[in-house]
Amino acid sequence: MELLILIVKVVVVMNVALMLASTCTWLERKGSALIQDRVGANRAGAFVESKRWYLKPALPLVRAMGWLGLINTLLCDSLKGLWKEDFVPSGASKFLHALAPIIAVLPIMLAFAVLPLAPDFTVGGITIHPRVAPIDGGLLFVLAMGSVAVYGVVIAGWTGNNKFSILGALRAAAQMISYELPMGLVFVALIIVYGTLDVYEIVEGQQSLLWGVVPKWGIVMQPVGFVVLLLAGMAETKRGPFDLPEAESELVAGYFTEYSGMKFLLFWLGEFAEIALFAFLLALLFFGGWDIPWVALPKGAWWAALVGHLVLMAKVLFFCLLQIVIRWTLPRFRYDQLMNLGWKMLLPVSILNLIVTAVCKVAA
Amino acid sequence: MSFMGFLLSAMALAAGVGVVWSRNPLYSAFCLIVNLLSMAGLYSVLDAHFLAVAQVVVYAGAIMVLVLFVLMLLNLKAESGRKLGVVRPLAAFAIGSWIVATAYPSVVDNFKKVSIHELQENLWRSEGTVRAIGEELYGRYIVQFELSSLVLLIGIVGAVMLSKRKQPAIGPRPGGLGGKA
Repeated sequence: MELLILIVKVVVVMNVALMLASTCTWLERKGSALIQDRVGANRAGAFVESKRWYLKPALPLVRAMGWLGLINTLLCDSLKGLWKEDFVPSGASKFLHALAPIIAVLPIMLAFAVLPLAPDFTVGGITIHPRVAPIDGGLLFVLAMGSVAVYGVVIAGWTGNNKFSILGALRAAAQMISYELPMGLVFVALIIVYGTLDVYEIVEGQQSLLWGVVPKWGIVMQPVGFVVLLLAGMAETKRGPFDLPEAESELVAGYFTEYSGMKFLLFWLGEFAEIALFAFLLALLFFGGWDIPWVALPKGAWWAALVGHLVLMAKVLFFCLLQIVIRWTLPRFRYDQLMNLGWKMLLPVSILNLIVTAVCKVAA
Repeated sequence: MSFMGFLLSAMALAAGVGVVWSRNPLYSAFCLIVNLLSMAGLYSVLDAHFLAVAQVVVYAGAIMVLVLFVLMLLNLKAESGRKLGVVRPLAAFAIGSWIVATAYPSVVDNFKKVSIHELQENLWRSEGTVRAIGEELYGRYIVQFELSSLVLLIGIVGAVMLSKRKQPAIGPRPGGLGGKA
């Protein structure tokens, strides 16, 4: 029975990660079109016809999906990726070339294992914890997986066997290491505030009210930490104004210049899964997870867990959308500006934030 | 423990051999990463989750990325056709077997003294590994811990001093990034 529950949990968590990643793909395609005053993908499947009677009832739905660009982004693009020629540059190790996109995706998917999707609930006498791995260093595990994902980028850049790839990989590695420091320090401040490393317990710690008025969310307790984490996380995902590792005006496509077909799409999947993971972190750590302010749901009821899950998902989708809007609004930084922001702005601010948090904690 | 433990140990050993065996320094670095990751896996099999995660964050995540960074910037070629001679392998073998011979008895003695189950029970009793490690580090070993942080500080200051040392100017060099070389 326990094994069965575990398997169901793994399937559900994997599906949440993949569904969020593909939703982000669609949001990015259509959202960027809206922002740039274009129409965006709206053709594939929009004019589908069939003479078969049993397909007739489904036609309006398929047409609507096609018109919304869902078929184009979710079905056509991935099928196209499967059919494309898989090109390996000469002189590169085939094994490492295939390994790099896997390493870019796998750690991000693994990081989802420690994130709780809903409050614990009881069904038929069995208490279910809706997370795959309840380890006591959950927050650190996310950080560790983020740092392992660097290898995918580095190996991809190296097997590309050209200047653009290697420059992109070096930029990406330097950027990710630099921004991991303020990110880790913000996590430490959060750990001091809530007194635990477990993501679930941090979310539970945000359910009460501060002085009986404001919800005890991370954004209230750690406003500076939120700003720092937002900036650092955007840089970690290598998107938005921080997409220098793949700056197409300078580096063709950066570290994945030499990738094609499904391997190329895997990098995209990793990127969008990273967006979803980061949105999850923001929602869980700073916006109370499944908490609705001033509303107390009964603990342990299955419907309360469902409502909590939907609330959490709404928050996650909001942060996915926020990242996409930022990415399509702001222009790209210069690389020295990026490094200055990381080392001279965010790092001192996050150290100061940590000291102030510790002093407040001791004083309280 | 048993199956996963043996699998991970085998992986760690194979990767360790790979570090020494491969001719290309980058492959050596990759093997070292696999070795460190399988050590982290061994820790987590032994229920030391915090140690496993710390191993991944510090060694696999930070230090090895820097090593790869340097290797990629140097753009080393695979070492081919370099003869090792006779003396060096023999010396390496002698030193290696000396280390094993001295370390082996104490390691085995320690394992005989404390059984793994006993260790695990201690861990469970202390409400998770993070708390246990924290209490040891900031309780019994506080002086040593703070002294080691001093060593790190000296390292950072030393690195800054070395990089800030005045270098003899090579021709006129206008400041700023946009300056012509």
